[in-house]
Amino acid sequence: MRPKFPFVMDCGLFTTSYQEDMAVLFSPAAKIKVAAIIAFFLVLPYFVSPYFISVVNLIAIAVIGALGLNILVGFTGQISIGHGAFMGVGAYTVGILTTKVGLSYWAALPLAGIMAAMVGAVFGIPSLRLKGLYLAIATLAAQVIIVYTIIHWTSLTNGSAGIVIDAPRLGSASMADDRNFYYFAMLLCLTAIVCTVNLFRSRVGRAFMAVRDRDLAAAVMGINLLKYKVMSFGLSAFYAGIAGALLAAYLRVITVENFTVEVSIQYLAMIIIGGLGSVMGSIYGAAFMTLLPIFLRSAADFFGSFLPNIAHFLLSMQTALFGLIIILFLIFEPEGLAKLWKDIKEYFRLWPFSY
Amino acid sequence: MRFRSFWVVLLCVCLAITLVAAGCGGGKKEAPTHGTEAPKEPVKIGGIFDLTGATADVGVPYQQGAKAYFDYVNSQGGIDGREVKLIDIDYAYDKTKAVEVYNKLVKQDKVAAILGWGTGDTEALKQIIATDKIPYISGSYSEGLLNVAECPYNFLIAASYSDQARIALKWAKDNWKGAGKPKVAFVYNDTPFGKSPIDDAKKYATEIGFEVVADEVVDLQALDATSQVLDMKRKKADFAIIQGTSNLTATVLKDAKKNGLATKFIGLNWAADEKVVKLAQDAAEGYIGVIPFAFPTDNVPGLAAINDYLASKGQKLEDQTQKFVQGWASAMIMLEGVKLAGDEVTGEAIKEGLETLSEFETGGLAGPVTFTADSHRGIEKVRLAEVKNGKFEYLTDLFGYK
Repeated sequence: MRPKFPFVMDCGLFTTSYQEDMAVLFSPAAKIKVAAIIAFFLVLPYFVSPYFISVVNLIAIAVIGALGLNILVGFTGQISIGHGAFMGVGAYTVGILTTKVGLSYWAALPLAGIMAAMVGAVFGIPSLRLKGLYLAIATLAAQVIIVYTIIHWTSLTNGSAGIVIDAPRLGSASMADDRNFYYFAMLLCLTAIVCTVNLFRSRVGRAFMAVRDRDLAAAVMGINLLKYKVMSFGLSAFYAGIAGALLAAYLRVITVENFTVEVSIQYLAMIIIGGLGSVMGSIYGAAFMTLLPIFLRSAADFFGSFLPNIAHFLLSMQTALFGLIIILFLIFEPEGLAKLWKDIKEYFRLWPFSY
Repeated sequence: MRFRSFWVVLLCVCLAITLVAAGCGGGKKEAPTHGTEAPKEPVKIGGIFDLTGATADVGVPYQQGAKAYFDYVNSQGGIDGREVKLIDIDYAYDKTKAVEVYNKLVKQDKVAAILGWGTGDTEALKQIIATDKIPYISGSYSEGLLNVAECPYNFLIAASYSDQARIALKWAKDNWKGAGKPKVAFVYNDTPFGKSPIDDAKKYATEIGFEVVADEVVDLQALDATSQVLDMKRKKADFAIIQGTSNLTATVLKDAKKNGLATKFIGLNWAADEKVVKLAQDAAEGYIGVIPFAFPTDNVPGLAAINDYLASKGQKLEDQTQKFVQGWASAMIMLEGVKLAGDEVTGEAIKEGLETLSEFETGGLAGPVTFTADSHRGIEKVRLAEVKNGKFEYLTDLFGYK
């Protein structure tokens, strides 16, 4: 390598082999960046308060769920309003397997994903014939059916009383401790991100995108529509199942109210705000949706000290504000936070000559 | 390309530094409140209330009542000269949010005990409460919280929903004048709160000679219950037990009147307050409520303090509802536990303090409450009241079903 002068810019990165050309982390700086981020998250719990860790834990769970939904909605162009219910399937699988069958949590975790994937795939079958709004209603039916089953199959699910599970333990480390759970959730979250990024470098991921862009054209090119649509539903539900199982381990109580249609819509909002068809967008969206109520609450507390009435007003505005944010994103930045962040980076990169 | 990535790295590093700095700053700020247990430190109690969610109709006055009591205690000089502080958060009846809010209260604000709200979230938190050793007085009186082995830190300051339903059924049976077996229907919403007493109540109803004819599921915020009401009419229910909040109850009562039902409705405590009468108007006539807490219009000594407090704020006792009194009484019992905990106010000390309460009198605001180490069932008695001329009038004194 020849020596480099500082402040001199290359006119590009050049690769000399296919392997280099296809690398996920294309430039050396990207490698440093990713390493820095991972190192940052590794040491984070030693510097922040336990409450902050608990918030990050909730975000990590939401990221896994949002990634799954983005595979289906953002990359395959299908729609699902049953994501919350698929999370419920995962959580209840863990609950039933650990309390009634006596499996350990670690064995139940992958089974929860597989179970949710199977249920998701079944409800994905109508997607071959249904599109758009019709598919949305069909998946809404999945949501209602699953929730109804959970509430009324009391012998298996304890109905609305829910299932109480013990905190999973790994050796002497109990997941009831936020810091231990943090590393566990982060590991799963990182795995999910890496898998998703790689998925779209594979044949399957490209097939998903072909289906999204024009399913007829995809079929002409020899993509089996049924297979890939159902696979996308299954894969999306697998992520949801894992997220649900994680949530179960975190809350240690599994009740149906954590998996209602509001949750499904919240996940849709996450990926719309974060960016449809963007892996990073799923992460930004999940973090945004989890943090917004917390910021709003501190804002309400802050203003409440001068104007007592405004605090209550701000809190009641929360739902309306969510709606407003989604509308604004759809109008001004349909590609979400991911695009916004990219634009900001571009601006600084090209400054002062942003042509 | 290189240059761009350089910026990104720089930005990340900056971000990391600020975040870590913020985290450290936050940590340092927390340290003194936790580390030094100076005797004049304020006692911090958390509050998880519903101000904007599905049960906000009763949640808002409950929260106001609880806040008012804390304010009142401070105006009287606090507990042994220590200020008491209620850090309350609205969780909009959303269970996932309740967990986040709980974590904030316990891990960031380091509260010693919590006044909670809904059945679903209290049940969802009971494991974590037990691990964190946080005494928890909830607005939920679910039977599921009474297992001391499983939830050693939950305290019920009123008769459990199951007991309330049993008492209502016993009264209905004793006052049944018709021929044959009386028929009873259950009206509830499909949440842990709604379903909590139903199984126990059905079992008891069959035991004492009722025929259970119908289960009617009505949504908490339903505006129409015609189909459920017509079903009860078809099945000729003589009595109906309602487990819901004011809105649900008023809807059911109005639709029952519209469709000419002869059914006698009995509502458990969250279904019985002044708001039902206000919303249902004359449809509420003859409606019977299970009343564990006093109405502001009652003649009990405990109300004097509320009256004085409200007068000092330029408000009137008559404008408040029974749920305000309920919030006040919940806070009162919690702070009695704090008082008995001694100087070192920790969750365990408050729990032990509460467990020494025996026939604790709230001045008639709630029934006399008794907790022991083996039972957190504060009381097993309630009163019944019937709506006459737009006002609840007591039918019975405090009585139990046993």
